[in-house]
Amino acid sequence: MTRPEIVFDAVSVDFAGRPALREVSVALDQRRIGVIGSNGSGKSTFARMLNGLVIATTGRVRVHGLDPVSQAKQLRRTVGFIFSNPDAQIVMPTVAEDVAFSLRGRGLSHGEVDDRVSSTLDAYGLTAHAEAPAHTLSGGQKQLLALCAILIGEPDLLVADEPTALLDASNTKRIGGHLLDELPQQLVLVTHDLRLAARCDVVLLFEDGRLVEHGEPGGVIERYEREHA
Amino acid sequence: MIALYLPGVSPIHRMPAGPKLLAFMAVALVVTVAAGFPWTLPAAAILVVAGYLLAGLGWRVLARQIFAVRWVIGIMLVTQLVFLPPLVAVANTGRVVAVIVLAALITLTTRIPALLDATERGLGPLRRFGVNPSAVGLLLGMTITTIPVVAGFATTIREAQRARGARVRLTTFAVPLLVMSLKHSDDLADALAARGVE
Repeated sequence: MTRPEIVFDAVSVDFAGRPALREVSVALDQRRIGVIGSNGSGKSTFARMLNGLVIATTGRVRVHGLDPVSQAKQLRRTVGFIFSNPDAQIVMPTVAEDVAFSLRGRGLSHGEVDDRVSSTLDAYGLTAHAEAPAHTLSGGQKQLLALCAILIGEPDLLVADEPTALLDASNTKRIGGHLLDELPQQLVLVTHDLRLAARCDVVLLFEDGRLVEHGEPGGVIERYEREHA
Repeated sequence: MIALYLPGVSPIHRMPAGPKLLAFMAVALVVTVAAGFPWTLPAAAILVVAGYLLAGLGWRVLARQIFAVRWVIGIMLVTQLVFLPPLVAVANTGRVVAVIVLAALITLTTRIPALLDATERGLGPLRRFGVNPSAVGLLLGMTITTIPVVAGFATTIREAQRARGARVRLTTFAVPLLVMSLKHSDDLADALAARGVE
C-alpha cells in the first residue's frame, strides 16, 4: 500500500480560544476528495491547512510528505489553492500578467514564461482575453483565470475552497468539469454543491469542527441531507 | 489614472523598461525644477503629444488619459486661482498633468512584469539597507491592479445605499469602503501566501 498523500493526526485548531477543528484524524490518498458540511463546520479550515494558510494548534499534518510549518515554501509549490472569490485572487492587472506572476522567481527565461502562459490560457479558452484587464472578465472567466494561475505552477495537489460558490449554473458546470474530469492532479474540493461532491472518490463530512464521517460519496451525502433536511 | 498596457510594436513599446523609467524620471525632474522658465510647459506638451503619437496610441488615448485626471485638474486650478495669477495657475496645473500623462504612457507601453523586473533591478543596490526590491515591485503591480477593485467597491456601496433610499454621505460611504478594502486586502494576502509569495 502506498503512503497516504494527506495525513491528519489528532489535529485541532483554535482561533482566539474558539475551536475551529477538533481532533481530526484522517489519511487520504484518493484522487478526488470532496469536503462538505454546514457553514462554520470547519471544512474551510481543513482545506486551508493543506496549503499551510492555517497551522494546527495541536496534532500533526503531512501533505505529500511535507510539514506545513517547517516546509511551508515547498508545500506552497506542491499545493495550489483556489478561493471562492475570484476577484481576491487577481494579483496583476492583465490576464496574461496574472498567470505569468505564478512563475516569478522560478528562474525561467521570458520566452519560457510566455510559452507556458500561452499554452495554459489556450487550454482554458482564455487566449482571446490575454491582454484584457483581469477585473473586466466575467465571474466564470475569473475563476478560470485563477485556475490557470495556479495550474501553471504545476502543483501536485489542488485545493479548491467553494470554487463555484459565486458562479451561475453553466459556469459551475464548466469549472466543475475542469476540476473533476480534466485535472491530472489530486483534488480536494470543498463545496456546498452536492452534485459535485457526488462525483468525488471520497467525501468528508464536517460538523461543528469535527470530521463526523468520511467514505463513499453516496452514504456520506445521504447522511448530510438527512440531518439537514 | 493608471493606464493598462496596450500591445504595440512602436519604438516606445520596444524600449527596455529600465531606460524608459529613467527617461521618464529625468523628464519629470526637469519639468518640476524648471518651473520658472516659460518654455517648460510648451516643451512638456510637445513631448507628451510626440510620445503618444510615436507609441501609435493616437489622440483618442491621450484625450482619455487627460479626461481621467479631470478632477485633479479642477481641484488644482481652483485652489491655485485663489492665491496665484491665472497664467501661473494654468502653467502649474499643466506641468503636473503633463507628468501624469507621461507616467500613463509608461504603463500603456510597458508590461507590468517588465516594470517589476526593472524596479527590482534598479532597487537591487538598496538591498544592503534592508530594502526588499521584490516586495517594492510587487507593491507597484498590485497597486495598479487594486485601483479598479476599490472603484468597484465604491460603486457597490453607492448603489446599495441608493437602493435603500439613503443619501450618500461621506461617513456612510467611507466606513463601508474602508471595511470592504480591508477585507479585500486580507483575502489578497491569503491568495498571495497560497501562491508562495513570502
